[in-house]
Amino acid sequence: MLGYVRLELVRVLRDVTFLIFGVAMPVVMYLIFTTLGLAPGDERQVALFVMVSMAAYGGIGAAFNNGTGLGEDKALGWVRQLRLTPLAPATVVAGKTITGMVVVVPAIAAVLVAGTLVNHVALSPGQWASIIALLWAGTIPFTLFGLGNGYRLTSQSAGIANFAASMGLAVVGGLWIPADRFPRWLKAISEWTPTHGYADMSWRVAFGQAPSPRSVLVLLGWLAVFGAYALYGYRRAGRAA
Amino acid sequence: MPTGRWAVIPTVVDMSVNAVSLEEVTKSFGAVRAVDGLSLDIPQGQTLALLGPNGAGKSTTIGMLLGLTVPDAGRVRVFGGAPSAAVRAGRMGAMPQEGGLISRVTVRELVAFVAGAYAAPLPVADVLATARLTDLAGRRVDKLSGGQAQRVRFALALAGDPDLIVLDEPTAALDVEARREFWDGMRRYAARGKTILFSTHYLEEADEHADRIVVIDRGRVVADGTSREIKRVAALTTVSLSVDGETSWLGRLPGVSMVEIRGRRAHLRTTDSDATVMALAEARAVRDLEVSPADLEDAFVALTGRGAASPSPTTAARGAEEESAA
Repeated sequence: MLGYVRLELVRVLRDVTFLIFGVAMPVVMYLIFTTLGLAPGDERQVALFVMVSMAAYGGIGAAFNNGTGLGEDKALGWVRQLRLTPLAPATVVAGKTITGMVVVVPAIAAVLVAGTLVNHVALSPGQWASIIALLWAGTIPFTLFGLGNGYRLTSQSAGIANFAASMGLAVVGGLWIPADRFPRWLKAISEWTPTHGYADMSWRVAFGQAPSPRSVLVLLGWLAVFGAYALYGYRRAGRAA
Repeated sequence: MPTGRWAVIPTVVDMSVNAVSLEEVTKSFGAVRAVDGLSLDIPQGQTLALLGPNGAGKSTTIGMLLGLTVPDAGRVRVFGGAPSAAVRAGRMGAMPQEGGLISRVTVRELVAFVAGAYAAPLPVADVLATARLTDLAGRRVDKLSGGQAQRVRFALALAGDPDLIVLDEPTAALDVEARREFWDGMRRYAARGKTILFSTHYLEEADEHADRIVVIDRGRVVADGTSREIKRVAALTTVSLSVDGETSWLGRLPGVSMVEIRGRRAHLRTTDSDATVMALAEARAVRDLEVSPADLEDAFVALTGRGAASPSPTTAARGAEEESAA
């Protein structure tokens, strides 16, 4: 399993497209939002709020990208090739999930580092630790959603579905524009999205509160849904192979 | 990973168990019966060619053998157990017809990863050498030519040092040079006493590289034997000579199944060219004698009934069984 994770990580680190769009873009968007003063309100609060938003966006994007990669692997016959090695199918799924959990790290870290170095965001060590842990662990449902798409769809459709899902969920979840400024009906929807639950936990910690139970439960609910979806996709792909 | 305990397993393996055993295996896709009651036993250590035209059922048979496709009926056994068990135990390696190569890794990284998935793999350097990849080890897998990529697939199949290696049309789409290099590597692997099954529609490859050829067509075995036996069954060795006058006696010579007179030359089709030639010599009839060895391609056409040639597939199959029993 370690060998598999290592191989997958080497592939991600050499993926220039991912490094540019997955890691650099959230940072660039963060700097544009904060330094050009596009977001109204207190500068320091914006720097903090958008840092969490864009770190969350980066984490989600990397998590989905992992699933898109799986769609490509399937098209290349790599999934079938793995089936012809002694590696157990469950090991492969677990390995791919772990890979997803590792590749989100640089995307999240890059934005947090930019927040500290460029916008001088200051938080207590406890807040940093909580935010990093929540942003990191909270990507698991999105990794599973991406893998489900990767298993179930063709390579091209998986790429489109994952891009649409990460973008759509980010927008509706309030990562690009705070949900407070949404019309009432959209805000109601937003509060049920996994992205909102995911980012809201860290927003609250960043502004000195505890994560709301509602956000945690919403995200856990989606974890169950996406986990079941990934499992279904995997089983279906297994029968087709 | 490789430990003494694992390494000894191949030496205590029961050699009397067939590497592969297919019993009356059937598989349909919709209305198409791809494999139709196919039975085949492959003893350990044999190099067997599965020969057949496109659509004969070769890939489906291999898919069932590898446990990727579930048969509708019949039984598939690999080393006495289920195919998936043989894969999990690292006893079966496979080279699919295409695919299996991912982007952004080097040849060495990929081979080392696959080798690492097995309990007792070959040293990576040996795998690279056998597949003639040593010079390409640092190259990215997605930047290789077709022939080089095919050698990587071969390397992945043998990396775990499996006892049985299954190759689905390993040389399809390779040029002559790449094909020669591929078979060089294959021979080195076979020399270590491994069981090899490869499918091909290149007749000369089956002829040159296999101990045994199984011809399949429409999902059934139509002939089974050495290439010599298969040629003989199809009775296509031709003895030709110049003749004058009466020729009817030629048809009564040993082995002759058909006589054709074209101008002043008689062409005799024979199942036993030695006996035919001896008889001609005794009759002092040898004049401008030529023996044209059976072309396996003609035999193949005859056997699969996809041409105008003589024996019916069923006759040929029965003949083949008698031949191999003898």
